[in-house]
Amino acid sequence: MKTKLMIAAALAATALTSNAALAGKADDTLNWSTTRDVDVALPYFNNVRETVILTRHTWDNLLYRDTKTFEYKPLLATSYKWVDNKTLEFKIRDGVKFHNGQPFTADDVVATYNLVSKPDSGVLTKRNVSWIDHAEKTGPNTVRVYLKNTFPAALEYVSGPMAIFPKDIWATAKKDAKGKPDYGTVAPIGTGPYKMTKVVPGERIELEKNADYWKGSPKGQPSIGKIVFRTVSDPEAQIAELLSGSLDWIWDVPKDKADQLKLIGIANVVSAPTMRVNYLAMDVAGRSGKGKDNPWLNDKVRKAVAHAIDREAIVKNLVGGAAKVVHSACYPSQFGCTSDVPKYNYDPAMAKKLLAEAGYPNGFSTDIYAYRQRPVTEAIMGYLGKVGIKTNLKYMQYKALRGFAWDGTAAFHNMTWGSYSVNDVSAIASHFFNGGRDDYCRDQSVIDALKKGDTNTDPEVRKAAYKQALTTVAKKLCWLPMFSYSKYYSFTHDLDFTPTADEIPRFFTAKWK
Amino acid sequence: MLRYTLKRFGVALLVALTVSVVAFTLLRLSGDPAAALAGEGATEEDIEYVRKHYGFDQPLLTQYSAWLVKALKGDFGVSVYLKTPVSEIIFERAPTTLILGLCALSFALILSIPLGVLAAMYPNTIIDRTALTIAVVGQALPSFFFALVLIIVFGVWLRMLPISGSGSWLNFIMPSVALGYYATPAIMRLTRAGMMDVLSSDYIRTARAKGLRPRVVLFKHALRNAIIPVVSLSAVQLGFMLGGSIVIETIFSLNGLGNLAWQSIQRSDFEVMQAIVLTVASFYIVLTFLADMLNAFLDPRIRVH
Amino acid sequence: MNDMTKAEKLPSAEQILEPSPTSLLLKRAFGHAGMTIGGGVLLVILVMALFSPWLAPHDPYAFDLAKKYIDPIWHANGTWEHILGTDGQGRDYLSRIIYGARVSLLIGFAAMLISGILGTALGVAAGYFGGRVDMVITFIITTRLAMPAILVALAVVALVGSSMWIVIWVLGLLIWDRFAVVMRSATQQVRNMDYVAAARALGCSTARIVLTEIMPNIVNSLIVVATLEVAHAVLLEAALSFLGLGVQPPTPSWGLMISEGKGMMFFKAWVIGIPGAALFAMVLCINLLGDGIRDVTAPENRN
Repeated sequence: MKTKLMIAAALAATALTSNAALAGKADDTLNWSTTRDVDVALPYFNNVRETVILTRHTWDNLLYRDTKTFEYKPLLATSYKWVDNKTLEFKIRDGVKFHNGQPFTADDVVATYNLVSKPDSGVLTKRNVSWIDHAEKTGPNTVRVYLKNTFPAALEYVSGPMAIFPKDIWATAKKDAKGKPDYGTVAPIGTGPYKMTKVVPGERIELEKNADYWKGSPKGQPSIGKIVFRTVSDPEAQIAELLSGSLDWIWDVPKDKADQLKLIGIANVVSAPTMRVNYLAMDVAGRSGKGKDNPWLNDKVRKAVAHAIDREAIVKNLVGGAAKVVHSACYPSQFGCTSDVPKYNYDPAMAKKLLAEAGYPNGFSTDIYAYRQRPVTEAIMGYLGKVGIKTNLKYMQYKALRGFAWDGTAAFHNMTWGSYSVNDVSAIASHFFNGGRDDYCRDQSVIDALKKGDTNTDPEVRKAAYKQALTTVAKKLCWLPMFSYSKYYSFTHDLDFTPTADEIPRFFTAKWK
Repeated sequence: MLRYTLKRFGVALLVALTVSVVAFTLLRLSGDPAAALAGEGATEEDIEYVRKHYGFDQPLLTQYSAWLVKALKGDFGVSVYLKTPVSEIIFERAPTTLILGLCALSFALILSIPLGVLAAMYPNTIIDRTALTIAVVGQALPSFFFALVLIIVFGVWLRMLPISGSGSWLNFIMPSVALGYYATPAIMRLTRAGMMDVLSSDYIRTARAKGLRPRVVLFKHALRNAIIPVVSLSAVQLGFMLGGSIVIETIFSLNGLGNLAWQSIQRSDFEVMQAIVLTVASFYIVLTFLADMLNAFLDPRIRVH
Repeated sequence: MNDMTKAEKLPSAEQILEPSPTSLLLKRAFGHAGMTIGGGVLLVILVMALFSPWLAPHDPYAFDLAKKYIDPIWHANGTWEHILGTDGQGRDYLSRIIYGARVSLLIGFAAMLISGILGTALGVAAGYFGGRVDMVITFIITTRLAMPAILVALAVVALVGSSMWIVIWVLGLLIWDRFAVVMRSATQQVRNMDYVAAARALGCSTARIVLTEIMPNIVNSLIVVATLEVAHAVLLEAALSFLGLGVQPPTPSWGLMISEGKGMMFFKAWVIGIPGAALFAMVLCINLLGDGIRDVTAPENRN
């Protein structure tokens, strides 16, 4: 406890000398930080979590999903209805203004939906928009959205990633290297409780309270005056800044540090479950090479990997909090998710036996790609090493790894997926096993089953189809799902903040104490 | 003097050119710039388009000349990641590195010159030994480790200094100490050696014999003569610091060229990497050029050589 | 008169018993405080590196997630099972420090050998031939000095991949400049000596002259620079591993251990303190040894 005393003494010392803290309650500015640098701060054109968070603050969608009941509440739409299985109708709210003063109308909804659903719009996560065929204004305050196929999860996406932009903004896009318009360069104008006032790509993003935010929104009225996001790439610098007061809020604190922070007591430490799932992907489809020297083609090898890793130990010792081992390629609360799939227990002896049967009695060497929480990947490497699989770590930034995953180079990778916080299996399994660039399974039966689940309106049919797909994925081990995350948040005692399970901190409902 | 200057200038230019060639080749050979520029999700078609449009399908020599021509006009291309012109980004980030380098050098000079002078004045005494110990310790301490220790002590335990960002001049104290400490031994040793040489020279003995007060003798005459090689060394050390600031900048989250280089390496941002290598090399070349000029100006023997 | 001349011709007792140059050297060496301390500790580190499998109490790769960050023995909750505690994956710190000496020394020596051969070849050639050859080689040296070594190393490693041997080669091909500079000036000094002129007059081949006349006389400087460059390489590898582009986990490298321990540095300072101290000790001793060799073999250089 010597450290505790020292830090307490230091606190006392600084009570006398005021170290310029441009943060916190004193100047009504909430400084939050992550280690990620954000180059594009717009929805659709960036898929990092930080963008998802900023999107909720700066833009509104047609609907808002309640954080506790998961019901869809009216936001920019006052009501909705399913006209038929492939058509949604929304009544549009009056009296809302964009941050630039322009009034919000049904035309803006139509323009946004039509642009982002275009195949060459540059939207990064196609799943979020590929269900839309087109949108039409069918009355002064009415919009119809036509779906390509029946897609019952549509409302998850309407209330999730589908932020509404002003209709004229798309024409202001700059041209990119290919000579096409890069829609990721338009100004960040929305109708949300905060205005995005300053963007320094890779460094900081500033939000200011929208004092004219329309009353009656389920998001409430914003209280904190200014919100500043800063990239602090060094996790220790983050902690130090939190301790010294120049940062008010951080998250993704590793368990060891969180435990220590709790001991010291300078800041609040809270843990909350998240929908984010950690997984190991293996190249079943032979995308990295179909030759005999690709060990991932052999299903005994993949089973060996599944038995070699002690997931419970990793969850208990490295991740902590509300984290749990996950057996299927989805998060338990997501619609269609089931854990009634083949499971693999920790059995290193069995792993070695399987490897020998597969023709690798002395194991083999492979690259393992990862981008996040290195200790988890290193623990995985350690367990694999114990059964003879020697791994060479290729640790890199998310964007770089994403590229390798997409082009098939990363035959064995350890990544995570937050499903955009969409509470439906279509946001995870259908994204990863639909035959697209993220799919290392490329199994037609899975692709068909997922399509059925995505497009059928009967919940029982959907569940059965998803179960079939998830079972095949678990059997084939295209993915070894590892665990669902628990996130540790740490923030100043002056802040009244409650984390939510969807991993989207809502600063617009936070207040100073 | 003019001939000498022109000769040195010519060499400096040639060195800069060679560095740019090496950097260009290294980076082009170890990755596909077309794929990087086209971004993720680009189809084969897109990549081909970028390749043709930017001339990546041309022989290396042609590509280099094209790049050189643009570079001479100040156009270093566009950053793949930040989507802004590279020259803009470099202009934005360079001042932080320059400030860091100058502060680090100042710290090194403030620490090492007085130490060197004292050590020379009282050779083989405890003062001398202390100075030499500081020098030896300085050379053995890894700068990144030293930086972390400084952060723990001054940033967290004592809470005296801010530990990241470049908000105020306070932010530069710890990074400068961590970066500058490594140059201290060399400068101190040189000062000490130079002072000792000069102090025992005939010129000084004559001045002393003439009856000039010791302090006057020392500071006006000896130091001025001994300082010449130290100036050169300082310029060279500054050049090294500007090139080697990457670790310190990442630890302290200073947004200078070093940090930018680190980020660009991770993002395979070729254009930026190349420009940074060239910029840092240019700093070094300019500094050594100036040091040479100063030396030649102060010590005529060098010019004649 | 005759008696005195005769007496001078006979070697006196002292002259017969005069110590040889080698023993004089050794005497000076052991008298030199820095060298004995540096050399002594370095010997201990060398023993540690050579006999790691017998000295290390645990397998440096054996991990146990339930035993993370156990404090070293001098803390209240330390245990004799892990004298220096455990790291974030539950691996014994003492064992990793011992094995880490291997990694540092291996990389340091190998990089020094590569850069030494390259730099010496260039430096001797420049110093011996002079003229155009010297101009070209000096230009190459200046260009290499102008390029920021660590940036280039990072860029190459990031693009090509990082493994121990890649690091060794990258470092070796980058740090030869000091060898070249020192060997060049040493060669220049020796080139004008009488015995070299004599050898040339005799018609000896260039290679022969270099090997038999020049090299033996510059080998002292070579050893000094070689020692200091080992230290240089060790520090560079530590910095690369610290940034994540050097030796890869789970290999125990002191620089990597500092980087891995950074997360806990505010709470458990020993996690970075121990490998940092080890690095410091190793580099300090190598430097002391190098300085000692320089002082002892050419005392006139000492002020």
